[in-house]
Amino acid sequence: MSTSLTDRHPPTAAGGTAAPRRTKRRTPLGGSRHGLRERLMAGGFMAPAVLLVALFLLAPFVWTIYRSFFGDSRTSPFSWFDNYTLFASDPALSRSIENTLLWVVGTVALPFVLGLAIACLTDSSRFSRLARLCVVLPYALSGSAVAVVWNFMLTTDGAVNQVLTNLGLGSLTQGWLLTWPGNTLVMILANAWQATGVAVILFLVGLQSIPPETLEAGALDGATGWQQFRHIVLPQLRPVSIIVIGMSLVNGLKSFDLIWVLTQGGPGRATETLAVSMYNETFLELRPGAGAAIAVVLTVIVLAASWLYLRRQLDVKGV
Amino acid sequence: MSLGRVLRNTTLAVLALLWLVPTWLLVVNALVPATSYSGSPHWLPQDFGLFDNMSQAWDKANLGPALGNSLVYAVVSAVAAAVLAGFAAFATVVMPVRRQAVWFWVIYSGTLLPLQVFLRPLFLSYAHTSLYDTQIGLVLIYTAIAIPFAFFVMRNYTLTLPREVVEAARIDGASWWRVYWQIHVPLTRSAMIAVFVFQFVAVWNDLMFGITMVTSRNIRPVMAALADLQGNYSNVGPPVVLAGALLVSLPTLLLFFSAQRFFVSSLKIHR
Repeated sequence: MSTSLTDRHPPTAAGGTAAPRRTKRRTPLGGSRHGLRERLMAGGFMAPAVLLVALFLLAPFVWTIYRSFFGDSRTSPFSWFDNYTLFASDPALSRSIENTLLWVVGTVALPFVLGLAIACLTDSSRFSRLARLCVVLPYALSGSAVAVVWNFMLTTDGAVNQVLTNLGLGSLTQGWLLTWPGNTLVMILANAWQATGVAVILFLVGLQSIPPETLEAGALDGATGWQQFRHIVLPQLRPVSIIVIGMSLVNGLKSFDLIWVLTQGGPGRATETLAVSMYNETFLELRPGAGAAIAVVLTVIVLAASWLYLRRQLDVKGV
Repeated sequence: MSLGRVLRNTTLAVLALLWLVPTWLLVVNALVPATSYSGSPHWLPQDFGLFDNMSQAWDKANLGPALGNSLVYAVVSAVAAAVLAGFAAFATVVMPVRRQAVWFWVIYSGTLLPLQVFLRPLFLSYAHTSLYDTQIGLVLIYTAIAIPFAFFVMRNYTLTLPREVVEAARIDGASWWRVYWQIHVPLTRSAMIAVFVFQFVAVWNDLMFGITMVTSRNIRPVMAALADLQGNYSNVGPPVVLAGALLVSLPTLLLFFSAQRFFVSSLKIHR
């Protein structure tokens, strides 16, 4: 990497513009005297990170895009957008898209609403802190461990059916993970069980940053509890809300562990989301072209979703 | 107590209890001795078979090597990512580097992409080299994946530091290397710890690379072993699987309770 850095540095003898341009830079740390050495040094500091990222992340990314334009027959011919049209023709992939949409709605709405509610309902009392701990605790578990716990809840002789039977609601018992769309919905609930903790923590941080004077002023003007929440608290939580929504959105789109350990995308391929479909197509169905196309589509969706909160982050940090 | 307050506390109590049910069942049923598990979930603890269940899970899923592996993977890649990202952040913010925005995007872009995009090319190139099914191979992948976000955090933190300290040291003739280790690292310690905690948890909890890049039971990380154990659910019985899940979650739970401050700050750094 250091060589490419020095390449771009025009030799001072040839380019008269180099010197004035250099003085405009915001890092004058002794750079003018030992310009080249300094740059080499900086290149050396960046090289390990840049090399690893380029080699393990960016190059595979480019390769996946490239691969998505080639078919899956024995000779892997160039096939234009055939792999992308599979989304319309292959029922498993259409189902996967439907599930992904369900996941997006569920993983954004549930942690957001529940997290906000729990953060607002609690105060500094001991009871509140204990209640909060119950909600935050599952966040310390991995997706795979959450899947193990919820499998125990949802299997045919699991806890949920047991409770229903004991409550005299035996007619409601069912194989929760066996029929669509119920299986996708209960997995979204399982995901919310884990993910709400983060939302609670973030909303608490947001609530603490609200100046109490604004609430006092509202109370003086006669705002009731709900009005205070709606017109004073909520607007000031906007920055945190964007982070919570963006985070849950991206995490929901990327979630793999929970679905994989609970159902492996089955029964059939009914509970796959794009993240799982990509794995199934590539490594189980052995259709790497289709898998690559799914990965690219997923990337586009994730990038679009990231834009939501990235825009704000980068504005503030000013790259 | 006003009506509003009662309502509020009731809602809260109901929500908290709902949340507690799966956690409670996890602990209670992991305690039930596997042999006396009756086929339906227990709601109250009886007898204490936790350690027996854990040791069964340990044997059935080869958890010993898996735990050791994951500890190595998580510690080494989290440290490596923090240090290497720290280098890069230091260079792009403090040192005279041209086109800082370009370098920022080259490194940062990696964290925006879903991991599925990297999976097959890495799998293929690992299969062609001798990196497939090796510990060093997994460490390399985990480090590379951790770097972009670690870099983002370290860079944002570095931007908030006063430049005068580094400038003074440079004028006194300290080399960049020395400035980095003796001045910059102590200043960015808290960000580095937050990055470490965050990445440790991410690597420890990873499943996808663990089941893709590895086949042997001696190399695979702990979540791959847990998924394997879950696959034998009907053979080994729920108490053993749950005890296994509890066992592999202990490190992150411990970290969560002991370093809650850093957990929270590692969340806040998303901003």
